[in-house]
Amino acid sequence: MMRLVRAEWTKLFTTRVWIGLLVGAVALAVLSTVLLTAFAGDTEGVGIPPVGSPAFEQLALAGPANSVVLMLVLGVIGMTQEYRHRTATPTFLTTPHRGQVVIAKLVAYALVAVPFAVVVTAVNYAVLAVYAGSRGAVPALTGDNSRVVLTSALALVIYTVIGVGLGALVRNQIGAIVGALVYLFVIEALIRQFVGTAYKWLPGGGLEALTATFQGPDVLEAWQGGVLLLGYGLVAAVLGTFLAVRRDIV
Amino acid sequence: MRLDGSPPGPTREQAISSGTTARVDPVRVEIRGLTKSFGSVRAVSDLGFTVEPGTVTGFLGPNGAGKTTTLRMVLGLMKPDAGAATFDGVPYPSLSRPLRTVGAVLETAFHPARSGRNHLRVYCRAAGLPLQRADEVLAQVGLADAGHRRAGGYSLGMRQRLGLATALLGDPAVLVLDEPANGLDPEGIQWLRGFLRHLAHEQGRTVLVSSHLLSEVEQTVDRVVIVGAGQLVREGSMEQLRSGADGAGTVLVRSPEAARLAEALRADGTGVSLDGDALTVSGRTTAEIGARAYAAGVELHELRSQTSGLEEIYFQLTAGRGQFAAPPTGPAAEETTR
Repeated sequence: MMRLVRAEWTKLFTTRVWIGLLVGAVALAVLSTVLLTAFAGDTEGVGIPPVGSPAFEQLALAGPANSVVLMLVLGVIGMTQEYRHRTATPTFLTTPHRGQVVIAKLVAYALVAVPFAVVVTAVNYAVLAVYAGSRGAVPALTGDNSRVVLTSALALVIYTVIGVGLGALVRNQIGAIVGALVYLFVIEALIRQFVGTAYKWLPGGGLEALTATFQGPDVLEAWQGGVLLLGYGLVAAVLGTFLAVRRDIV
Repeated sequence: MRLDGSPPGPTREQAISSGTTARVDPVRVEIRGLTKSFGSVRAVSDLGFTVEPGTVTGFLGPNGAGKTTTLRMVLGLMKPDAGAATFDGVPYPSLSRPLRTVGAVLETAFHPARSGRNHLRVYCRAAGLPLQRADEVLAQVGLADAGHRRAGGYSLGMRQRLGLATALLGDPAVLVLDEPANGLDPEGIQWLRGFLRHLAHEQGRTVLVSSHLLSEVEQTVDRVVIVGAGQLVREGSMEQLRSGADGAGTVLVRSPEAARLAEALRADGTGVSLDGDALTVSGRTTAEIGARAYAAGVELHELRSQTSGLEEIYFQLTAGRGQFAAPPTGPAAEETTR
């Protein structure tokens, strides 16, 4: 199994997709944190709590959670490129037990997502420390603050796993990515707006619970949110594995 | 680098001579009753044949005859509705180390942004092979200089070579190649021809190579398996096909003693038609007729296979059995059915 995981890493790091996605994930997190800090204390407009308040600090430290979409895309590409570039054929010729390939991808991408999450979280904190520091207070990494940092990073890892599972299910790269974006930014947003009770059981609700900050509708406990997200990832992966094993490779 | 992407001559010679001369353990490929339908279309129907070690077997048929579907079932990529394919009795998915038993090229499949060398290294890792195998097979197919370049920039011929390199990674006893000559220039085809024959005849490997053009593999293969509309049309040696020994062609004989030779051949139950000093013999190879004439002490002035138009036999055998042909019904189809 370990050699299959290493083969997946070789695949990932011998093209440049990962650089773009990592840079994008860092940029998205930093952008949200910078905007948040810039408008902090502007209670009249969007109502962002002032720099130095626990609410502000936890919101800003949860900045990396904004990048989950890019980690999802990383996982989706990791799986679907096999079909897009038809390398599924040599891959499954090398490993005829296709379930092992999907499991290797899940493990490989979960492990790769850890340093990715560390980088995104670290850069986000560095920017926040400088900017918020210049506006009055450097957020301390203690108590609830440290929990938000950890759970945001964990969310990045879990979304990567969900991406691999989704890719195994859908197989069409463009379809999987566009579908995921439409779902996350349109469908889930609508559900959140109009069917609040259902929302807490969706991936977005799980994410919000996991990285819980002070705002938002009725959501689960943080650990429940984490379990829910992991559950989505595993269900997608199990279904994807099942289908990958059964479908013909044409 | 030449325009066609083919390496200079010396590399090719090296490729063949530096390959391991040790013979591999022979593995026999057996295909029995393979059947596969897509919806209401029956792509492959009760297809069976064997591929022997030490030979190059051509798997021929028009486009859409079910060749690729058959190969994908043989390699465990598609599930047959019925039947099975085995390698020394073991189905592909049950092989303990598949790349070391079977190497296959089904289509040019690689990530365009990845270099040829890294592409190969991925499968070295996955199969537990040493990474230097990547460089070895690159040299073997004459791609050593292009290994570090993005595979997306390769010419069609180079892509075929990279595919072949992938198949050779595990030093397999069996090679399965789907239309490997596609996109190769005449020089490349010449090279492939020598390479495949070397792998089979010198090293005892089992080579199965598909093509829709008989002329493309005519000089490479020892045996042919011809399919049409998903069914076996003919299986046999090239010599059998060429001589039309099973009814597809005739042999022209000229002799001053034509009548006596006709008598002798008829006595063996051979079909002969006599016209002056010329005989038209069906169902016998030129070698068999020559031997018979020698035994009977008959002087020969000409002994010629009338089926030199091998392409014509192939066309007759497969006419109306491709993807774009009408369903095989009516007298024309009857004629081509075995």
